[in-house]
Amino acid sequence: MLRTIRLYLRLLGTHLRASLEYEADFWLMALGAAMTQVAGFVFIAAVFLRVPDINGWTFWTVALLFGMVGFSEGVINLFFEGMWWLADLKHNGELDYLLVRPYPVALQALSSQVGLNGLGNLLTGGALIVAGLVNTDIDWSPATAVVAVLLFLGAMAARVGIMLACNATTFWLEGPTSMFAFAVHQVGDLARYPLAIYPVVLKGLLGVVLPFAFVSFFPVSWLTGEGGTGWLGLLTPLVGVYCVVLAAWVFRRGLTRYESAGN
Amino acid sequence: MRPYLALTRAMLRSALRYRITFLMGMFGMFFQLIALFAVWRVLLDEREIGGFGWAEMRPYLLIGFTCGMIVSSFTDWRMAYRIVEGTVSLDLVKPVDYQFARFAEIVGGIAAEVGVAVVLWAGVLVFTGPIALPPPELLALFALSMLLVVPLKFLFSYVAGLGCFWTHHYNGIRWTQQAVVAVLSGMMIPLALLPSWLATTAAWLPFAGVASTPGLIFIGRVDAAEAARLVAVQAFWIVVLWLGARLAFRGAVKQLTVHGG
Amino acid sequence: MALVEARGLTKVFRRPDKAPGLKGALRQLVVRRFTEKVAVDHVDLAIDAGEAVAYVGPNGAGKSTTVKLLSGILVPTAGEVRVGGVEPHRDRIANAHRIGVLFGQRTQLWWDLPVADSLDVLRDMYGIDRATYTRRLKRFDEVLELGEILPSLGRRLSLGQRMRADLAAALIHGPEVVYLDEPTIGLDIAVKDRVRGFLRSLRDEGTTIMLTSHDLRDIEDVCRRLVIIDGGRIIFDGALTALKDEFARERILHVETAADVPLAAVQASLAGATVTAGDSPRRFSVRFNRFAMTAGQVVAALAGHAELVDFHVDEPSIEDVVRRVYSGELMAR
Repeated sequence: MLRTIRLYLRLLGTHLRASLEYEADFWLMALGAAMTQVAGFVFIAAVFLRVPDINGWTFWTVALLFGMVGFSEGVINLFFEGMWWLADLKHNGELDYLLVRPYPVALQALSSQVGLNGLGNLLTGGALIVAGLVNTDIDWSPATAVVAVLLFLGAMAARVGIMLACNATTFWLEGPTSMFAFAVHQVGDLARYPLAIYPVVLKGLLGVVLPFAFVSFFPVSWLTGEGGTGWLGLLTPLVGVYCVVLAAWVFRRGLTRYESAGN
Repeated sequence: MRPYLALTRAMLRSALRYRITFLMGMFGMFFQLIALFAVWRVLLDEREIGGFGWAEMRPYLLIGFTCGMIVSSFTDWRMAYRIVEGTVSLDLVKPVDYQFARFAEIVGGIAAEVGVAVVLWAGVLVFTGPIALPPPELLALFALSMLLVVPLKFLFSYVAGLGCFWTHHYNGIRWTQQAVVAVLSGMMIPLALLPSWLATTAAWLPFAGVASTPGLIFIGRVDAAEAARLVAVQAFWIVVLWLGARLAFRGAVKQLTVHGG
Repeated sequence: MALVEARGLTKVFRRPDKAPGLKGALRQLVVRRFTEKVAVDHVDLAIDAGEAVAYVGPNGAGKSTTVKLLSGILVPTAGEVRVGGVEPHRDRIANAHRIGVLFGQRTQLWWDLPVADSLDVLRDMYGIDRATYTRRLKRFDEVLELGEILPSLGRRLSLGQRMRADLAAALIHGPEVVYLDEPTIGLDIAVKDRVRGFLRSLRDEGTTIMLTSHDLRDIEDVCRRLVIIDGGRIIFDGALTALKDEFARERILHVETAADVPLAAVQASLAGATVTAGDSPRRFSVRFNRFAMTAGQVVAALAGHAELVDFHVDEPSIEDVVRRVYSGELMAR
């Protein structure tokens, strides 16, 4: 297990080193990602200048939602960006060599790229989370802190799992792009707002089918007591594990369909 | 004109060939509209904010989203890719004007995007009820201002794309450009509702022309005279940016020769 | 039991039928139609430890698909594969330690890394200890002259350099079985010779080798056993020399005589052979089956007509034989 993780970081590190060759690009990517987060946030901040709350959610609790979504995005960019290249790897037959090496194929594919925009997303997302926690009235105790950390990890796992599963559908689709996963990624941005504002169909989509609500809404709801669905937040670690296991299963099933392009 | 029309047709064909990819991309963007609708629907439930009620906000957001959707999927990626890969040198030796050729490609993509926009409008009208039309003189100005959105948005992408002559990846530039446009065009929130310093900044920049202007005209927030002035501002920026882009292009091509393509 | 064993191995690819135009695309969304293509059709194959097997066939015959099935990249539609008792696609990690794979058309080196770093990442992945790693690298360096290319970035290598580095990458963990798909494609003669020499030494050390190539020189240099596949089926499996016995029965004797000879008379004296005229009246050729008559008998018969000034016997090369097998001229089995 430890060896698996060490090797994963090493694979990531090699790509990171290579991409840092272009320093100007690094800063532009980080800036672009940060600006995208900020743009969404400027909107919501401007709204809160005019209204005190959205469905009972105050400015800083919504900031927490934004922060969780942005941070999870950054986690994917920085550590699992390879998932967005899966369609490409499949289409060009580049999975061949990964399949004959003694290391899980999914991990080799996930570590095959590093998204430098991740840093921008982690920083802005992290800043929003910290600011949100500082400015929200939370009754901290050691137990709360432990649970909060567990929920946070579960939330990140849920996001990574959902997006990996969606990217792995490329084995059933034709073509060299992850357009389906891209569309789902946009659905994920809905989790930046309180779930209550959506019609019931979308609530079902975000809560059950593509459980993005567990990336932000439910864990934040448990921590802040906002929204009255806190108990669901406690399921976050379970949902996280479920999403990752599901993704691994979809990936493995997909791999048996791999046809290896070319001759 | 013939070579440019050929580029337009080629781009339309390519949009149709990759229709699944294209439609999926549009489908993904659609969720941005859903989020905006949901947030504003709740905010404007039985109240007005800064003079905007749900009756005005619904068409305003829809227009802003439509403006965001068109001129979004084609030329800039292709152009950036060719610059980064160095194949742009093949474009440069063709007997066409580089800038106008890229514009011609955009027009081909728009044909496909407008198709999707029509379906989208039909869907929104069916599910959320009809939308009141403005008086005829404002409607005419609205149509004119929508037309001007195309070259204006093209110029934003084009200038951003030229940035690739200096960098090796387009993503960072594109995201920054899109983020700035998202805030300062009034696509998500009317500029009047922004804090005054931000609203003033937006007023002095060209970005309002690609969402706020047609939106405000359509919902009748401005009278005909003010609408005409806003359309003139759009036109002014198109001229300035078109000429500015030519200057930037000259500098950009020098970069190419320095690095040897 | 053989080290590599395939029984009834079959791979069927499904390709969607694409009707042209928008209408076709819409119909495709509703009713999906497929064409099935059988790439590998009930292949039985057993390779013993230490054998060097050449696997040849025309383009699209199913060579690469077989290699991908044997190495666990593809999952068979039917039949089974076992390598040392392990099913490659089920137990990838165990399998990966035993096998080495090289696809000549594609590199496994990391594009952005120096070759040395790529090899070191693989060292880490396979868990090879430093001492063994250094020893192997030194050996590769002796045969493949890796030294000069180790510091170069993957993307800056020439084709020949890349192939040498890729060979090292495929073999750095000392695999028992090596699958090499076109390891000399696009290389110049000097590099080809070097690669062949390397493969021979590998074979002599007891590594099991399966080699596919369009260059039959590779095969004659390295392998004693030949398997020919066509249309997804194995049409020949045996020793290289047996192939010649089976298909290359024909010999052609080219003769030059001191005086003009009527060809009809020659033909009459050589029943069962075919006589054809050459570019002058004193030159002609006799085509005969070497199992029906010997070259000595032919020469003796000819000597009765006129004095022989010169003659030589043409024996088909392995290349000719294989080419004729591909073209369907020679029917096997």
